Amino acid sequence: MSIETLRICGIIILLAPFCGAVIAGGLGPIMLRGRSHWPAILGVAGAFAAAVVVFTQLYGHGTEELSAQIPVYQWIIDGAGSAFKVEFLIDPLTSVMLLTVTGVSLLVVIYSRDYMREHGKPERGYERFFAFLALFVFAMCALVLGGNFLLLYLGWEAVGLCSYLLIGFYYSRPAAAAAAKKAFLVNRVGDFGFGLGILLIYLSFGTLEYAAVFDMVQSGVLASGDPLTNGRVTTIALLLLCGACGKSAQLPLHVWLPDAMEGPSPVSALIHAATMVTAGVFMVARCGAIFTASSTAMAAVAAIGATTALFAATIALVQTDMKRILAYSTISQLGYMFLGVGVYAADSAIFHLFTHAFFKALLFLGAGSVMHAMGGIIDVRQFGGLRKLLPWTFVTFVVGSLALAGFPMLSGFFSKDEIIHHALVAHPLLGIIGLVTALLTAFYTFRMVFLAFFGDERVPEGVHPHESGGWMLFPLCVLSVGAIFAGYLGVEATGRGFHHFLTPVFETTFVAMNPAHAGSHEVAHPGFWEHYGLMILSGGLAIIGILVAYIIYVKRPWLSGLAKASAPDAYQTLWNKYYVDEFYDEALVEPARKTGRFCVGLDDYLIDGLIWLVTAVPRGIALVLRTMHNGAMQSYALSMTAGITIIVLLVFWS
Amino acid sequence: MAQILDMPLFNLADSWALTLVIFAPLVGMVLLWLPPPGDDKGIRRSALFASLVTLALTVLVVFQFYSFEPAVRQSRAYAFTCHVPWIAGTAGDSATIDIAYRLGVDGISIWLLALTAFLMPLAIWGSFSGIRTRVREYYSLMLLLEVGLLGVFCALDVLLFYVFFEFTLVPLFFLIGIWGGSERRRAANKFFIYTLAGSVLTFAGVVYLAYYSFTVLGTATLSIERLIQAAQAGHIAPAVQWWLFLAFAAGFAIKVPLFPVHTWLPLAHTEAPTAGSVILAGVLLKLGTYGFCRLSIPMLPNASFELAPVVAVLAVIGIIYAALAAWVQKDVKKLVAYSSVSHLGFCMLGLFSLKVIGVTGGVVYMINHGLSTGALFLIVGCIYERYHTRNIHEIGGLARQMPWMAFFLIFFTLSSVGLPGLNGFVGEFLVLLGTATSKATSDLRAAGPLGYGYVIPAATGIILSAVYMLWMCQRVLFGPLKEPANTPDTSTGLTKDLTRREISILVPIALACVFIGVYPKPMLDTFKVAIERNVLRDVLPAERVTAETSGLSIPADATQDTQSGEGSPAEPDDGVPAQPADPPRDSAVLASLTDLDTTGGPKHER
Repeated sequence: MSIETLRICGIIILLAPFCGAVIAGGLGPIMLRGRSHWPAILGVAGAFAAAVVVFTQLYGHGTEELSAQIPVYQWIIDGAGSAFKVEFLIDPLTSVMLLTVTGVSLLVVIYSRDYMREHGKPERGYERFFAFLALFVFAMCALVLGGNFLLLYLGWEAVGLCSYLLIGFYYSRPAAAAAAKKAFLVNRVGDFGFGLGILLIYLSFGTLEYAAVFDMVQSGVLASGDPLTNGRVTTIALLLLCGACGKSAQLPLHVWLPDAMEGPSPVSALIHAATMVTAGVFMVARCGAIFTASSTAMAAVAAIGATTALFAATIALVQTDMKRILAYSTISQLGYMFLGVGVYAADSAIFHLFTHAFFKALLFLGAGSVMHAMGGIIDVRQFGGLRKLLPWTFVTFVVGSLALAGFPMLSGFFSKDEIIHHALVAHPLLGIIGLVTALLTAFYTFRMVFLAFFGDERVPEGVHPHESGGWMLFPLCVLSVGAIFAGYLGVEATGRGFHHFLTPVFETTFVAMNPAHAGSHEVAHPGFWEHYGLMILSGGLAIIGILVAYIIYVKRPWLSGLAKASAPDAYQTLWNKYYVDEFYDEALVEPARKTGRFCVGLDDYLIDGLIWLVTAVPRGIALVLRTMHNGAMQSYALSMTAGITIIVLLVFWS
Repeated sequence: MAQILDMPLFNLADSWALTLVIFAPLVGMVLLWLPPPGDDKGIRRSALFASLVTLALTVLVVFQFYSFEPAVRQSRAYAFTCHVPWIAGTAGDSATIDIAYRLGVDGISIWLLALTAFLMPLAIWGSFSGIRTRVREYYSLMLLLEVGLLGVFCALDVLLFYVFFEFTLVPLFFLIGIWGGSERRRAANKFFIYTLAGSVLTFAGVVYLAYYSFTVLGTATLSIERLIQAAQAGHIAPAVQWWLFLAFAAGFAIKVPLFPVHTWLPLAHTEAPTAGSVILAGVLLKLGTYGFCRLSIPMLPNASFELAPVVAVLAVIGIIYAALAAWVQKDVKKLVAYSSVSHLGFCMLGLFSLKVIGVTGGVVYMINHGLSTGALFLIVGCIYERYHTRNIHEIGGLARQMPWMAFFLIFFTLSSVGLPGLNGFVGEFLVLLGTATSKATSDLRAAGPLGYGYVIPAATGIILSAVYMLWMCQRVLFGPLKEPANTPDTSTGLTKDLTRREISILVPIALACVFIGVYPKPMLDTFKVAIERNVLRDVLPAERVTAETSGLSIPADATQDTQSGEGSPAEPDDGVPAQPADPPRDSAVLASLTDLDTTGGPKHER
């Protein structure tokens, strides 16, 4: 592999989508209009091609040095002698992320060409949409490629910005505008911790460059030469985790993602399912050196992941908006990834990230196709039995659902199973939560499928459903293939190529620090049950979940009403998402606004009042003096007489 | 040395360059009286022309500064210095009073000079449609204001600084009082009295400083450079420093404005005409921070160090307090005004970290705030001219009506909330980094006064700034369209969306924001030397600083007085220790000051 090639590829990966964004945004309104998708498609395709080149450069190099820190130019000079550079870090992890991001992006951009049209005419803001989408690809690649924490932060904020702009794409809808703002602000809360973590890293290590920081963490010394305490590294890791929770919508910062579904469906597919929200997982994996140095932090990652996975899956059970169900399922699957990283199985987590990108993007695009056909309606209570009307969408959607549900031999099955396996090894409770969530996942996914595609054919008033065109079906088909076969990149039968490719990245961190490896718990020659027992169990759970959903929603539809009626409180709690939003409003937003009003009052009355008092002193003196100078001779004479009397008295007194 | 002195940088023409820049707008005022009365168009164009000429001159100065910057780095504190005795007295052959018209710029002030000259034509151009009455007077006052602002950033004499500093009040008082909103007279009065009250104390400090320098140095000097040297040599007693710091802070803190003396700002901003707000936020507030950075910190190092935590606490309170207050404002302009208070808190925090990183951040912050907040006020002005309201509840969904305006409002909002890649982030990051690392000794300086503890509350300001700015954007730009009756008002020749003129005003600012965000290196490069040499020279003693900035390789012993100077009170009669007596370093400094202090530098016997 040559550094020069990698540098050029990195620059292309960044600049191609960026130029696409600028051209689409700049020329779009003037001359491109309905063709504004071309700059975006070409830009993203260029980035994808460069990502493939990066991959071929890295692939097949065995265990030799596989990571390259590549400087580009000096960005911010801190004035004290050092500088923050724009630089890349390219290693297998980067490469996998780049392929996933640019690949899915390309498909989504192609899909959007038709999706963002009504009756063949581009929607209002067509060029804006593609400009933002390409800008997002640029930002996400910057996040992934960046070779130091400052660039990570840049990408981190920039993807947040694109997410903000795209959620608020239909800005005249108040809900969309509010959701956009909410997404940005909740992420800012996470970034608050993230930023503090980065500052603490600089404070501790005197640099923000990945390689240097990780080296110092692993050798356990600070820049000042003092030993790195466990408390400090834990603090750093937890602060970083705070940012990851914001971006990846983990508890307690998950509230923005379901609302983010106000954005157009391709945006939900790309940003809020396949790529941006996985940035948190990527970051924890990237900073493995820091996280694995603190067992507390790792436990926190695993705990947050497991809790979120279960928590979001329960909410998804009762929702009726297809995109929101998928949003909660995304949160839940991201929880799996966190769980994976937290139990030292970073390669499995990234594997799940990879397969998830396929099937979740597929599901969102499928939901988008449904929404397109239903004239913008996506609530499963308002339509049903669509399988005849939208055959292609139906088939691909079912493929995606099977993969999500963990149906045996599809991609989601393999990757999820790996995570559950590692979780069981780490702590039985984590593994059991993983299994329960798998069951719930299969159930709610197929509840959605059965409600939308099975039963009697029902469509909303005045809607003439039609299957989508080729621009939309092509990405669906490609993603379906991925959803079925992507998992085979990481199974024993194919030599676990995916994991081997990633191993060099995690060798010294997640692999070496794994407490499960430290004791020789590994069974030398696992028997059939050790090997396949879990697979059969989790596959079985998936099938059970699907069957239960089938019985409740297809065979015996009255059962669902019964369930709702038998536990109304539980149903209401789930329906209202555990009242987290309401809690935040009451506990944080309102008090802050009250404090703000209090501050304004303080300004207007206390501070200005004090100042009025100060200025009142000269005014008061003047007032007294003014009454004396009233020009009446009598009063002058009176005061003169009084004065003389006093003086005379005083003289006599003494 | 001779070589350096022979460079064209130091010829006579250059020593007048700054004077030319400062007074160019004054000359331009004459132009305004050429068009016949009633020819508003001619007057407006003359004013714009005058400010553009000033800008051109400034650009020349900046370029020349930049091309000679390495030379400046080598040996000199300031470029384009000029020195004309003003209030001078002699006894025998030694000067007893040394107050002079001293000008000069360094790596910090050059950028603030540029910012002023850059914003002024845009502000003037931006007033074309808004100002309909007393046009000639209006533009005359704008140009007069520019004179004062440019003067402050060039002054190297405390009295001259003070004169320019106070002078800016007068034109702005009239600008607010005559062309302002409905409560303009109250706002103008409050603004004037509030800031004047503070600067009266500053003036007392200036007078006392002159007197005190007479008692310890034998010369009543107000030369900033000589006072810094005196402070470095430990001639300014700590107790005196404390009083002087408080006196200076009285004027500067009100100008910044630092919590709790910020209450004049929201009112003044709300009532000022658009251009007034732009200049007020963009440049005038920086006079306060610049004063701290140019006078208080270098001349009063001990007091600055000891009082830094107090200032920092006030700054942090201000960051959060003003952000919360901004969030509940109904008036868009007031919201931006409160955001200024919050932002300037960051700036102060950076300056009082007393480390190069933090001060760099503080100075960058000054410039960034000038750009983005100035632009925000321009945009609010554009909205106001069309809808005659700034009430957030009366307008909404304007993105559909005014896509260009929406673009710029979001752009400058992002710049203001510190999105990486735009200018705001560079300042914010460096400020927080500087504050966090203030205590560290890794850059060979002694431990600074602040630490990580200040960063945590300050960083909440980052969340809050996003909260109120995005809240404002959401209300103004998004949602269903909401307009007051009979609007948008296009009777004055405005279009529904921004006119070409308005776009042309905002584009340069946006470009500057992007440039600073993506490639701030050229600017940051010049700060380092200026900050080490002219701001932090003796705040936190370190060998490295003296050695590097004085340019010549200096034997280690030459730095002794830097350390011995720490906190020791002045020794009155023992001949001003270590002044000209200490040969290598001082001769270097002296040589570099020859045209700054033609009276012969700090050679003075009583």
